[in-house]
Amino acid sequence: MTLLRIALKQQRTGLIAMTLLGVVTGALNAVAFVQIAGTSPAERLAFARSMEILGAQLSYMLPVPEHLDTVAGYLQWRAFGFLVLILGIWAVISSTGSGRGDEERGLVEQWLAAGASRARYIAARVIVFALVAAFALAATMVLTAIAANSSGEPLPIAGLASTGLNLLVTTLLCFGLGLVVAQLVTTRRAAGFGAAGLVIALFFINGASRSSDVGPVRWLSPFYLYDRSKPLTSDGALDLGAVSALTVAALVLIALAVTAFVRRDLWGTAISLASRTSRPTTAPSRDPFLRIPVVALLRQQWLWIVTWILGLTALSAFLASIIKTVIDALTSSSTPIMRAYFERAGLGGYDSFVGAIWLSTIMLILSAYAIVQVQSWSADDAEGRLATILSAPVSRARVILERLIALLVAVGLICAAAGIAVYWVATSQSIKLDGSKLALATALLVLIPLAFAAIGQLLAVWRPRIALVLLSTIAVVSYFLVQFTPLFQWPEWVANLSLFSLYGMPMSGEVNWSGIAGLIGVAVAGTIGALFAVQRRDVGA
Amino acid sequence: MTEAIETQGLAKDYGNGRGIFDLQLSVPVGEVFGFLGPNGAGKTTTIRLLMGLIHATHGGARIFGLDCDRDSVAVKRKVGYCPGELPQFGGWRGAEIVAFVAGLRGDVEDASIKALAQRLDLDLGRRYREYSHGNKQKLALVLAFMHKPVLVILDEPTTGLDPLVQQEFYGIVRDARAGGSTIFVSSHVLSEVEHICDRVGIVREGRLVTVSKLEDLVGMRAFHVEIEFADSVPTEELKSVPGLDQLRVADHRASGILRGSFEPLMSALVGRRVIGLVSREPSLEEIFLTYYETKP
Repeated sequence: MTLLRIALKQQRTGLIAMTLLGVVTGALNAVAFVQIAGTSPAERLAFARSMEILGAQLSYMLPVPEHLDTVAGYLQWRAFGFLVLILGIWAVISSTGSGRGDEERGLVEQWLAAGASRARYIAARVIVFALVAAFALAATMVLTAIAANSSGEPLPIAGLASTGLNLLVTTLLCFGLGLVVAQLVTTRRAAGFGAAGLVIALFFINGASRSSDVGPVRWLSPFYLYDRSKPLTSDGALDLGAVSALTVAALVLIALAVTAFVRRDLWGTAISLASRTSRPTTAPSRDPFLRIPVVALLRQQWLWIVTWILGLTALSAFLASIIKTVIDALTSSSTPIMRAYFERAGLGGYDSFVGAIWLSTIMLILSAYAIVQVQSWSADDAEGRLATILSAPVSRARVILERLIALLVAVGLICAAAGIAVYWVATSQSIKLDGSKLALATALLVLIPLAFAAIGQLLAVWRPRIALVLLSTIAVVSYFLVQFTPLFQWPEWVANLSLFSLYGMPMSGEVNWSGIAGLIGVAVAGTIGALFAVQRRDVGA
Repeated sequence: MTEAIETQGLAKDYGNGRGIFDLQLSVPVGEVFGFLGPNGAGKTTTIRLLMGLIHATHGGARIFGLDCDRDSVAVKRKVGYCPGELPQFGGWRGAEIVAFVAGLRGDVEDASIKALAQRLDLDLGRRYREYSHGNKQKLALVLAFMHKPVLVILDEPTTGLDPLVQQEFYGIVRDARAGGSTIFVSSHVLSEVEHICDRVGIVREGRLVTVSKLEDLVGMRAFHVEIEFADSVPTEELKSVPGLDQLRVADHRASGILRGSFEPLMSALVGRRVIGLVSREPSLEEIFLTYYETKP
C-alpha cells in the first residue's frame, strides 16, 4: 500500500496536467466545432470539404479526416488524433522516471532496502500509471460529452468510451516502451530522450503510411493500430483486433521491462556492453570553451542545441513546403464562416500563412525549449550545482544574466537556421516572401522564449519545485487563448493575456510594436524580479 | 588584519530551535580551527552563512574584514570551499568539472589541479556518476584547494575517505597552513580534529558551547571501555576509579565512559583475571552527555 501511495504521489502533477489538457482538447474543440463549422447542413458540408483538403496536407500529423461535418468526426480527427501523441510522450516521461529516475536519485535503493521486492515496486508504478491514465481519459471523455451536449451536438457514449479505451491501451504501450528503454541505459535523461525519440519516430512512421506505402513496417507503429479504430463516427467502430494487439503488446513490453528490472543490477543495464574506458588523467580539461563565461554554458549543451537546430530547421522546411497547397485549399473554401475566421485571424496571402503556420508552430516549440531550460536551472539548484557555482567568486546576478544570454544565443541560432530554411524552401516553391519582413519576424521570435525564460527564472528562484508546472501552465493557457479567441470572438484583451498573442502576426501586417514592447516588458520584469529574488533567497538550504 | 573569520551575534533561525544562534567567533589568520558538533548542531548552517549562500536572521560575519553577505563575491575570491553535501554533475568528467569551476574562478593554475589530483589519487578522466562517494569527496577537495586560497572552509571533509587518503588530506591541510592559509574545518569526530587543529569550537543545539585550545579539551576526551572478567565484576573497585562514568555491569562484563588517564583503571584491574578489554571513542553526543551532565 505504501508503494502505491508513493507512486500515486509522484503521478500527481501528471494526473492534473493530463486531465486538464485532455479536457481542454476535447471539450473546447467540441464547443469550437459549432463556431467554426456553422450550423446549416450546407455550411457543414463545405467546412468538411475544405478541412478534408487541409487534412490531406496534415496527414503526417493527424489521421485521415472522416465525417468532418459532424462533431464526432471533427473530434476524432482534430482532438484525439494528436492527443494520442501527447499521451504517449507523457507515458514515456513517467515510465523513464519510474524505471530509471528514482534509481538515479537513490530512492529505489532505499525502498528495496526497506524490504520491498523489485517486482512489487515496479508493479506499483505500472498499476498507478494505468489508474491515473484511465482517470485522466475518463474525465476527458465525460467533459467532452457534456460540452458537446451543451452545444446541441450529443456524442455517442459508447463511441466515447471506446475512444477512451483505444487511447488508454496506446498510452500503456508507450509506457511499456519507455520502461523497456529505461532498462537498457543508465540515466533517465538517456532513457527519456531515447524513448521519446522512438515514440515520435513511430508516430511519424504511421503519418508516412497515410500518404505513401511504407510497407509492413507500419505494423510496428502503435499509432497505426490506434488509427484503425474509429469508434466515434457513425459508421466507424472499435477494431477489436487492433485494440487486442495494442493490449498484448503493452503487456508484453511491461512484462519484459519487469523481468529485466528484476534480473539486472541496480544502476546497471539489462544488456551489459563493454564500457568505453577513459584514459586516466589528473589534468583538467583543455577545452577552452569551458572556461569562458556564457560560452561554457553553451558548450555544456552543444549537442542539445545542435539537435534543436536540426530538428526545427527540418520542421520549418517541411511546413514551408506545404504552405502553398494548404493555402490554395483553404482560400478556395466556400464556407463563409471559414473565410470569416481567416479574416478575423488576419490571414490573406501566402506570406501571412507563413506567419500563421510556421511562426505559430515554432513559437510554441521555442517556448518548450525555454521551459526545458528552466527545468535544468531548477535542477542546478536542487542538485547542488548552483551552490558550487556560487562558491566561486561569481555574483548571483551574473548567474541569472549568463543563463539568459546563453539562452538568447542558442535560440538566436535556432531561429536563424529555421528562418533561412523557410525562406529557401518558400522561394523554391515560388512563394514570394518579403525577406526583410521574414528576417524581422524571425529576429523578434527570440523574444518569446526570452520572456518565458525570464518568468521561468523568477519562478525557479522563487519556487524551484513548481517552476516547471507553473511555466508549462502559462504556455498552455497562452496557446489556447490564441487558438480560441478568434473562434469565440473573445475581446482583444483576453487574447493579449497570451504571450504568443503579444508577438502578433508580423508576416501578415505591420509589426505589433506595442505587443513587442509588452513582450520585452515581460522579459525585463521577469529578469528584474529574478535578480531581486535571487539576492534574497537562501541557496542550498 | 589579524582575524580571518569574525562573527558577531550571527544567527540563522529555521524555527523549532533549529539553526544557529548568537554565534560569537573569531579565527585568527593562519590558524586551523575545528568546528565540532554532533549532527544537526548548526555546523553546516554556520558554514553556509560564512559562504554567503544563506542569509543571517540576525548578526553578521566578516572574512578578512569583508562582510560575508554584502561582499560575498570578494570574500569568495579568498576562500576555498568543500561542501558537506556533494553536488550532482551527472555525466560530466572530473576534468571538465574542474576546468569549468577553474574558469569561474579565473585564478587557477592547471599544475595546482594536477598536483592535488595526484596527491589524492583521483582520476579526472572518469565521469562524475561513475565516481564512488570517496572519489566525489576527493574532487570536492580539489575544487576547494586548487586556487591556493588564503582561507579554506571545509564541511566534514573526510566523509567517505579511506584512512590512507585521510592521512593525505591531513598533509594537504598542514601544507596549506604552512603556506599561510587559514583553515576552518567542521567535524563531528573529536579524534579527527585532533590531527590538524590548533583550536576547537564546540557547537551544540545551535549554540557555541566552548572554544578551547586542543590541549584544554583533554578533559573532554573520553573512551567507551568494555571489560570482560573471568570471575565476577569488581563493581566497588570500578566505581571508585576517577573519571569512569555510566558504569554498567551485566554478568561478567562491565562497561562505562572513561575520561582522562587510563592509569587508575589499570590499577583497579591489578590482580583480576581480565579476558578482554575493548576501548573505542564514543560518539560526540555521548561525550557531550557525560561531560555536561557531570559538570556543575
